[in-house]
Amino acid sequence: MLTQVIINGLLKGGLYALMAMGMSMIWGVMNIINIAHGSFIMLGAYITYWLFTGFGMDPFVSLPLSMAVIFLLGWLIQKYLINLVVQADIFITLLLTFGIELLINNLALLFWTADVRKVQVGYGAANFQFFGTTVPYVRLAAFILALLISAILFQLMNRSRTGRAIRATSQELDAAKLSGVRVGNIYASTFAIGTSLAAAAGTLWAILFPISPTMGGILTLKSFVVTIIGGLGTMMGPLVGGLILGIAEALGTNWFGSTYENLISFAIFLVVLIFMPRGILGVRR
Amino acid sequence: MGITIAVAVALPFILNNFDLRTATDILIFAILASSWNIIGGYTGYASFGNIVFFGLGAYTTTICMTTLGLGFFPSMVLGGLLSGMYGYLVGLPILRLKGHYFAIATLGLAEATKALVQNLNITEGNSGMYLPIPDFSIDASYRFFYFTSLAVLLIMLLATYFLLKSKFGYGLIAIREDEDAANSIGINTTLFKSAAFGLSGFFSGFAGAIYAYQQGFIKPEPVFAVTSTVKMIVMAVFGGIGSLWGPTIGAVTIELITTFLTDYFLIIHTLFFGSIIILAILFAPKGIYDIFTGRKKLGIVYFLDNIRKNRV
Amino acid sequence: MAEQQKAILVGKALTKQFKGLIANYQVDFTLNQGEILGLIGPNGAGKTTLVNMISGSLAITSGDVLFKGKSIKGLKPYQIGRLGIARTYQIVKPFARMTVLENIAVGAMFGRQTKKQGIRRALDMAGQIVSFVGLEKVRNQQADQLSVASRKRLEIAKALAMNPEVVLFDEVMSGLNSKEIDAAVALIHQIRAKGISIIVIEHVMRAIKAISDRLFVLHHGEKIAEGPPLDVLNNKEVIQAYLGKRYQQAVIS
Repeated sequence: MLTQVIINGLLKGGLYALMAMGMSMIWGVMNIINIAHGSFIMLGAYITYWLFTGFGMDPFVSLPLSMAVIFLLGWLIQKYLINLVVQADIFITLLLTFGIELLINNLALLFWTADVRKVQVGYGAANFQFFGTTVPYVRLAAFILALLISAILFQLMNRSRTGRAIRATSQELDAAKLSGVRVGNIYASTFAIGTSLAAAAGTLWAILFPISPTMGGILTLKSFVVTIIGGLGTMMGPLVGGLILGIAEALGTNWFGSTYENLISFAIFLVVLIFMPRGILGVRR
Repeated sequence: MGITIAVAVALPFILNNFDLRTATDILIFAILASSWNIIGGYTGYASFGNIVFFGLGAYTTTICMTTLGLGFFPSMVLGGLLSGMYGYLVGLPILRLKGHYFAIATLGLAEATKALVQNLNITEGNSGMYLPIPDFSIDASYRFFYFTSLAVLLIMLLATYFLLKSKFGYGLIAIREDEDAANSIGINTTLFKSAAFGLSGFFSGFAGAIYAYQQGFIKPEPVFAVTSTVKMIVMAVFGGIGSLWGPTIGAVTIELITTFLTDYFLIIHTLFFGSIIILAILFAPKGIYDIFTGRKKLGIVYFLDNIRKNRV
Repeated sequence: MAEQQKAILVGKALTKQFKGLIANYQVDFTLNQGEILGLIGPNGAGKTTLVNMISGSLAITSGDVLFKGKSIKGLKPYQIGRLGIARTYQIVKPFARMTVLENIAVGAMFGRQTKKQGIRRALDMAGQIVSFVGLEKVRNQQADQLSVASRKRLEIAKALAMNPEVVLFDEVMSGLNSKEIDAAVALIHQIRAKGISIIVIEHVMRAIKAISDRLFVLHHGEKIAEGPPLDVLNNKEVIQAYLGKRYQQAVIS
């Protein structure tokens, strides 16, 4: 029984890790906390939903599509909106992303209503047995995809020209500018990558859980928790943080009851912030 | 100044009950925005979780009135005191964080407290709690809430005014301007910051108390809604942070516009708030109060200059 | 022969270690009552770190600091400030959106309280100090609108307003031109004349020579010399580490 709980926690944790990866990147590189993060997850989820109900497209197939669409959206938002205030006080950028969140969420409510939807894939219930625990195939697939996307991101950041430019910009803005890096575009690309990762998480979420236009809020908060636990500035941070949160929630709700899920997340959040604000793997800046 | 107060006092006798309720809501937001200003504007610690004090004030008042059978005024004061103490105690560890970390810590605090309230028995978890119905006539009760809110706001602004002129006020502003220098110059920054946070909580608690009694019924979600924290920050920023009347002006302006839009353009209203934040942030992060108190450049030049200074 | 000088601030084997770096190692020093002690050394020698340890901004890894015979190790910066030790910052830290007068008044409000210091008294005291440091003309200007030299004066004024017995000046002359340096030297002499004991960190050699009663030299975090200026400046090690052969030749000739 305990192993089942832990397996569940791990699988969900992988998804949490993917969710947080985008936020962690945007925060680490541009020092922007994207309060609208959950909204992009929601948009990714809805793209998958509409492609599924409209064209019968399998959600796993729609993954790259939803990532591409949100990549473009994120790029535009950063380049033409957020870049305008990126050097200002932190609460200016916080408020701006909050405004964006409200706008996106309310537009979604307007067009899609508050009804809860579900992507009902035929193979949703299929599972296999693993040492006495039940593992649904879709959860395992989502977990593996989450790790895969993280690995791809890692490669991208370390090997590609864009990736190196992003890392340079995050470490030394002025030096990057002098080296000819077009910072405005780098920021736009960074934000776009971050939001497309959120969209990917959204697609996977839609396969596993019900969706609604207001689903993003709590997911943004959970992404904070993951980012803080794991620490900013590393690729592995969100991964470690996500798995820890997933397992902690699984164990906690198992012992105390499902209504305690949020309390557990935020309690961990506060404790880590107060005693270990750099997180487990965080880099001293 | 006197004219404004005279008008405010006269309002309940001019407006109908529905509008009076709106005016009361505006006053409640003004209290929240001005309270936020104490920690966010004067001390420079932008809290994104001040709604927690509103919620605590609401629930404390409710519990005092139902379970303990106390009257409204004692319950309201207890609500304020509990919120204030919560702010002070939690402030001690949390105010060690700065900038972004502080902001999201306060967000986490609000969410954690909400989750706690949702799980406790004394607060009836997620089911919500009823409050006793006020023993007035309908008209009288609308006026009661209006005048109570007005009184709380005015007392609060008066207290803040004197605070600013005191050592405490100078200390807070010194902390905002340069915390290291403030420490070196002899200010016990931990104490001052926590006291500011507690004070901010104290007054917000009163706002929560009034809201609860007026609503008659409260649930965790609405009284701990993070959207409301942002609303109070936007009002304070829009009206002018770090000035005494700024947040109140911001509250009045934004609420009036919101109400106007709700009446005439219901669909757009939901998009309004998000859009107004974006526009306000892009063009006037220092607030309209700042514009009126002598920025050299006015109009479009000021706005464009703002963007030019902050863009990448 | 000089009377027995009373030590007001003593550092004993002060060591500061960061994660892999030792910034100060076993530094001893003595500041006597009413004296001006110059602290010199190349960049990165650990001078500011030492000041930070004395003022409480940085935790002391090992060693101790005694103020009037009592240890102040482990006290918070505001406590040390209230005891009577004030410091300035190398990169000045004015309260930008307050006026010059208000900046100074804050020092009077929160520093060493020999009398109950209300706002009015603090502002009065600030009024006196603003004249003393020569900032009367800009007393009502916002601090962030001052020139570099004025900002340095403000930094000094804020420290003085705290009614200190000891002041630690961290490179108050950097960025000043020749005339301004002379004025600063005169000001520091006047401050000492009030009975305040001073440690001055400086790179401007002629200023240090003009004001210091004694010098001590840090290099790579360790003290390599301490004593009267002429002795210290002719010390071989000091010349090698900091001053350079050319300086020695200039001094001799």
